[in-house]
Amino acid sequence: MRRQSSDRRPWTFYALAAFFTLFVLFLYGPMSAIYILSFQGPSGGLTFPMRGMSLHWFAALFGQQRTGDFLGSFLRSISLAAIVLTLTVVMSVMAGLAFRRRFVGSTVVFYMAIASLIMPGLLISLGVGFLFHFLGWRTNWYSSALGAQLTWTLPFGLLIMFAVFSRFNRSYEEAARDLSATPWQTFQHVILPILAPGMIGVALFGFTLSYDEFPRTRLVMGSRNTLPIEIFEMTTNVTSPALYTLGTVTTIVSFIAIGLALGSIALIQRRRTRRALGR
Amino acid sequence: MSSSPAARIAPYLQVAPLALVLLVFFGLPLLLVVAVSFFTYDEFEIYPGFVLDNYIDLLTSRVTLQLYWNTIFYALTVWAITLVIGFTVSYFLVFHVRTFLWQLALFLLCTVPFWTSNVIRMISWIPFLGLNGIFNQSLIALGVTDKPLEFLLYSDFAVVLAYVHLFTLFMIVPIFNSMARIDRSLIEAAVDGGAKSWQVIWEVVIPLSKTGIALGSIFVIALVMGDFFVVQVMSGGQSASVVLAMSNEIAQLLYPPASASAVLLIVIVTLMVAGIMRLVDVRRELAG
Amino acid sequence: MAARGTIELVGITKRFAETVAVENINLAIPGGTYCCLLGPSGCGKTTILRMIAGHETPTTGEVRIDGENVVGLPPSGRGTAMMFQNYALFPHLSCLDNVGFNLKMRGAGKEERRAKARDMLAKVQMDHLADRMPAQLSGGQQQRIALARALITNPRVLLLDEPLSALDEFLRLHMRGELRRMQKELGITFIHVTHTQPEAIALADMVVVMDQGHIEQAASARDVYVVPYSAYVARFMGGQNVLSGRVTGGEGARLAIELGNGRRAEFAPPDTPPATGATAYLSIRRDRIRLRKTSGDGGQAPVNMVTGSVRAIEYQGSWVKVTVEGASPEDFVVNLPDTEYFADPVTFGDAVVARWDAVDAHYLAGGAGRSDRPYALGQN
Repeated sequence: MRRQSSDRRPWTFYALAAFFTLFVLFLYGPMSAIYILSFQGPSGGLTFPMRGMSLHWFAALFGQQRTGDFLGSFLRSISLAAIVLTLTVVMSVMAGLAFRRRFVGSTVVFYMAIASLIMPGLLISLGVGFLFHFLGWRTNWYSSALGAQLTWTLPFGLLIMFAVFSRFNRSYEEAARDLSATPWQTFQHVILPILAPGMIGVALFGFTLSYDEFPRTRLVMGSRNTLPIEIFEMTTNVTSPALYTLGTVTTIVSFIAIGLALGSIALIQRRRTRRALGR
Repeated sequence: MSSSPAARIAPYLQVAPLALVLLVFFGLPLLLVVAVSFFTYDEFEIYPGFVLDNYIDLLTSRVTLQLYWNTIFYALTVWAITLVIGFTVSYFLVFHVRTFLWQLALFLLCTVPFWTSNVIRMISWIPFLGLNGIFNQSLIALGVTDKPLEFLLYSDFAVVLAYVHLFTLFMIVPIFNSMARIDRSLIEAAVDGGAKSWQVIWEVVIPLSKTGIALGSIFVIALVMGDFFVVQVMSGGQSASVVLAMSNEIAQLLYPPASASAVLLIVIVTLMVAGIMRLVDVRRELAG
Repeated sequence: MAARGTIELVGITKRFAETVAVENINLAIPGGTYCCLLGPSGCGKTTILRMIAGHETPTTGEVRIDGENVVGLPPSGRGTAMMFQNYALFPHLSCLDNVGFNLKMRGAGKEERRAKARDMLAKVQMDHLADRMPAQLSGGQQQRIALARALITNPRVLLLDEPLSALDEFLRLHMRGELRRMQKELGITFIHVTHTQPEAIALADMVVVMDQGHIEQAASARDVYVVPYSAYVARFMGGQNVLSGRVTGGEGARLAIELGNGRRAEFAPPDTPPATGATAYLSIRRDRIRLRKTSGDGGQAPVNMVTGSVRAIEYQGSWVKVTVEGASPEDFVVNLPDTEYFADPVTFGDAVVARWDAVDAHYLAGGAGRSDRPYALGQN
């Protein structure tokens, strides 16, 4: 492996590039099968060959017929994800700030977060179910499910904040202090803007992890399901391409979320440079 | 930096929300699971108590051994495959892709599927691998075989394949992170000292990315050990995993035995993770 | 107008956990002075700077600015401004907004602070780059922006933490002049931390040479260079050779130290002369020494001379630096004007004799100094 100062690439580059391409195909290929199959006509089946081409199954989805309460669980998923996203961002940023110093119990919290990440989701679901049962509370998507999902998103948020803060230079804060900024002003005008891209990353994780989450919430969802649970139940008794259509729709939502997040980051960067150059 | 009283309690106030949520929705539930594992039960109710029956049943059952054997088999196989793929992909991205923009773009390309639904990604293999699926149809069309391959779907192969599809990303991200931090001049020094390509990888790159490898391994193994839906769907019900069995017990309202299974799983996974962390110090990498 | 920015450090000590960064520092810096804190890494100079700034609090002692004790006041309430070593320009703000930051924190309106910031940038000749982001600027340009940002606060003391270390040689020399010019124009006190001796004596009215948390000497640049206080300062400033030996009598009223082999080095007795037999240290200016090959020496008296062999020769343009080995326990260096060197050049290995006049030998009242050598091997 030589320093690539010349333009010619060694053969290993092509071999690895081929491997990488195969890997990407491996990642995206099967999903594309689903997207294609979701556009079948009314006589469509679960596998190839494709029978007909229409938006029949999309209509069926929104029609709430045999496909279950799609609209309801979809809205619930989005709402829950929005709440989780907000809470995750706020709590992770605060905790990230806390971890910049030593404090009593920091190791405990750290390991608890890691353990929470690694723990099989179903176990957490079980435990939260017990908690609510012993307290005599009903499980709900906005209470027990919310809490269970936070055990999954908060560790991710915390780890991201660690990475962000480790690159954060303390001298910015000292400079701000030197220039008469109060601690709140420093947070508002210096720390927050620099953290913004990282916070968007945490928001993205919070939203998508919640939106797609299902082991942790499975036992504590209460009477009304979120989308992933609906989907999973459909897999056990799937009879029509409606499942695939659901998959396509839900993936589109995910892509919208990703697009918004990356777009916001790009927007922030561009606005900062454009605002500067525009004068 | 001065430490006024306000500055000294600030960290505690800041970490409190996160710590509280984790305590209430993770720590406490875990303790409850451990507690319930010692309870007795009948068809209607679970009764607080302290009996070891659940554990005795669990540990003396041959099924338990079978389940763990099965699940650990999956875990190790998936670990090995994702390690190789993850390492190779990261290596390509870090050392062979030249501009940062391309690195970022290709990296994002790999991670985007992570942000879509796992269930959807898993079931997308079904039309692909089925007897009438694309893969078989292509093989027949190309003349490689004349009958569709049966082992592709509803088999161990399908289960491992799905795991690899879902979890390789968890290997790529930490390894990529570790590799990207390797000082290039170390590589150049090795080449200067006469090392050939594979020696550089073995002597320099791998040791310096071992934190990433350890992290990725922890993630992948924990995820496979804790899974129940991939096994259920992709094996067509023929195979089982520890958590799947637990899920069945829960469905039958057998909470104490399920809790005992849970505790056993936690112990075993913790041992596996602790073993990995013994070999490699992961805390430094994470906590900066 | 009374000089602004008089600084007094009274009994300053700073302890971190187990280490003592500075101990019992007493220093008076007149207002309007350009003062350089000079010393190797870890000597405590940056700690002192940060305590004056207010980013560190002394464990004991007072920091007085214009007579008022500022310990406990926030950095922005002392009339000081700091220029950080890595500039610390806010990456998300344009240069204009960086410079105007202080005004914004104090509540100035947008138009007003933009206008004032532009004026400030014009003073450092950076107004054409006002709308760029810091990442788009070179190191030298960033430094000027950082300077403008500090000066807009109208400080009476400007604190500079190794401002020139990150620049390349050419730019460093240029910025040196800029800083000096600016200080004279503004008439405020500049305190500049550096580990580079030529930089310190080029810029400073007052040089404070530090070692391991203590001040070795605080004097004008000329005094520190020509009449160093101790062997440490003499060695650190680099223009002197240090000789030591036991005190004995010399010719006439002079004293001398024994150099071994029957040789002596004479010096004029100071006000408090050392006792006979005690160990004393002398410094000899490197450019006041004559060098001859031994064969041409003519066997003169063994006074105010050393012998040895040439170990290194460095051409420095208008002078040549010759290192002589064996002359004393440490390097003995002779700086010869180039014409003198090239008239009869010595080469590696030549046996040479170096002579000087007794009047050029300076008695080091501080003796060895706190630690014998700067950058002691085996320490830190």
